[in-house]
Amino acid sequence: MSQAVVTGLNGLSYAFILFLLAAGFSLTFGVMGVLNLAHGALYMLGAYIGMQVIASVHQFWLAVVVAAIALAIIGYALYWFFLKKLYNRVPEQGVLTIGLALIIANVVMWIWGPRAHSMMSPHGLTGVVHIGSLGFPVYRLFVVGIGVLVLALLWYMQDRTRVGAIIRAGMDNKDMTVSLGINYGLVSTFVFLLGMALAGVAGVIGAPITGAYPSMGDNLLLLTLIVVVVGGTGYIQGTMLGALVIGLLDTFGKAYIPRVALFFAWVVFLAILLLRPSGLIGRKVF
Amino acid sequence: MSRRFPAANMQNAAAVFVIAVIVLLLPLFLPTHWSSLVAKMMIYGLFATSLNIIWGYANIPSFGHAAFFGAGAYSAAILVLKLGITSFWLGLLFAIVVSAAIAAILGIPAFRVFGVGAGAVNPIYFLLATIAFGELLSKLAITIRPVTGGSTGMSGVPRAHLGFGSAINEEQFYYLVFGIGIVCLFLMYRILHSHYGYALRGIHDNEKRMQALGYNTWLYKYTSWIVAGVFGGIAGVLFCYFGSTVMPNNFAMATSDISFLLVILGGTTVFFGPLVGSIFYVGIEYVASIYLQERWPLIFGAIIVIAIMATPWSKDRYKGLGPGVLLLWQWLCRVVPRLWGRKPAQSVPTGKGV
Repeated sequence: MSQAVVTGLNGLSYAFILFLLAAGFSLTFGVMGVLNLAHGALYMLGAYIGMQVIASVHQFWLAVVVAAIALAIIGYALYWFFLKKLYNRVPEQGVLTIGLALIIANVVMWIWGPRAHSMMSPHGLTGVVHIGSLGFPVYRLFVVGIGVLVLALLWYMQDRTRVGAIIRAGMDNKDMTVSLGINYGLVSTFVFLLGMALAGVAGVIGAPITGAYPSMGDNLLLLTLIVVVVGGTGYIQGTMLGALVIGLLDTFGKAYIPRVALFFAWVVFLAILLLRPSGLIGRKVF
Repeated sequence: MSRRFPAANMQNAAAVFVIAVIVLLLPLFLPTHWSSLVAKMMIYGLFATSLNIIWGYANIPSFGHAAFFGAGAYSAAILVLKLGITSFWLGLLFAIVVSAAIAAILGIPAFRVFGVGAGAVNPIYFLLATIAFGELLSKLAITIRPVTGGSTGMSGVPRAHLGFGSAINEEQFYYLVFGIGIVCLFLMYRILHSHYGYALRGIHDNEKRMQALGYNTWLYKYTSWIVAGVFGGIAGVLFCYFGSTVMPNNFAMATSDISFLLVILGGTTVFFGPLVGSIFYVGIEYVASIYLQERWPLIFGAIIVIAIMATPWSKDRYKGLGPGVLLLWQWLCRVVPRLWGRKPAQSVPTGKGV
């Protein structure tokens, strides 16, 4: 029983890492129409930047902030120099960002070396909670807490603020929104930066669990794509639901039926694509 | 009355013929490791040309074309290594059947969400689905270890047996690749320049209008997907004998990346574009593998970025190296006769290319 609880908690913390990534991905896609397949590589870059900051000043929170800001700047530079010129050409954006992801991964390997770096959990979060006879790291509960906080903020932003209203209006009909005199460009830039920053936050927060290594983003990117499709784009609660489904399925699958677990998520993905292409909770915009 | 061909077409046909003869005679002059490089160019060229059927002609961008490449490679390798059937032709046939079956199965969920009409959604979902196919198959290859050899794949695929004499050597394998490549390219050329191929171009330009003209565009896209899958599978079979190993990576994004890079590099307006892209790509890969082995992903990524940012693009079509080479050739055909003081042949602008 306690085994199942620990696996469930593990799945939950994994789901919230996935949520942070998928929320960033689906925000950049939903609002800017940018298919960013370098999202996983940016997540990895965030982890390395955070690791570097922690190694030099031993400040976990500072590392989170620095990684978020750095990623927002890098992401915007990529948008300004490359993606802007490929407006409305989704396959080309995909190809471009695959190339960028390869470049980022190799540059990181060049700077920090190919082997995995372990990263310590911040002070005060290194302990273990006892569940029955098993221990569970406090840090993973902290990850869940951060995830819930981000979810609450994004949900509030989506439903209760002017920015959220503009985003929703823009997704429904961009031309009409712009013609009403709303500065949609400004809002979408803000949301794009937010999505990039979330990738950086996810990187720093996820690194103490998995360690930092150059290919850490590859597998997570694929799971992020699954989450976005399963949950549906356009609503933050859809992304959350998708992340929960995939995170828990993957973790429980790996714990109980490890042979099949590798492609469990892909089967769910194909099933959703066949039965409900707009996702579990999604707008019919795509 | 005999048909008369435009002079430009004759010039292009002559160029193709001359290049084919040169490629055929290459092993006589080059050491083996150079001619194996040319064989690799042909295999990748065949792979990318098969992707061009859907990406360039029907405008169905796919990020998972390696699914068929890997399916072909694995089915040939399994037949030889696990079932002990050494005949190359049986392996080829088996691979064609398997990749066609996989394409037929995967095409149903993919084209459910792609295109124009009821139930259609944004092409992004199609792209994500094609990524999923390749990754799903590569995970499957890792999982069923007794059949596929797990995450390390299978090595030691023997030299091909063609059914007469003993196994062929490396030089004969070059001619095998050449022969199969020529046959496949000819078939693809005929398919794309038939009524069917022009219907695919029509879907590329305006699918709604094609539907209004009474074409079942879903069926055209679905069948073109299967055709592309079969030729991708054939390229996979050749690759499995070429490297004598198969790996789960043959299914994954890393291999799909190569296919669409070649299509974009070579351009989609000319049938032989991906082949030109392949020559360029394999050349760079070879040089990089000598001098900058560790930085290869960086170089590869940079080629992708440069190709996508710099390739001239209009009306959903790439004009890459292939059209460039074609223009160069047509320019030479105009200029060279003039140097000898002869009147240039009457050239008719065709726009279709080779």
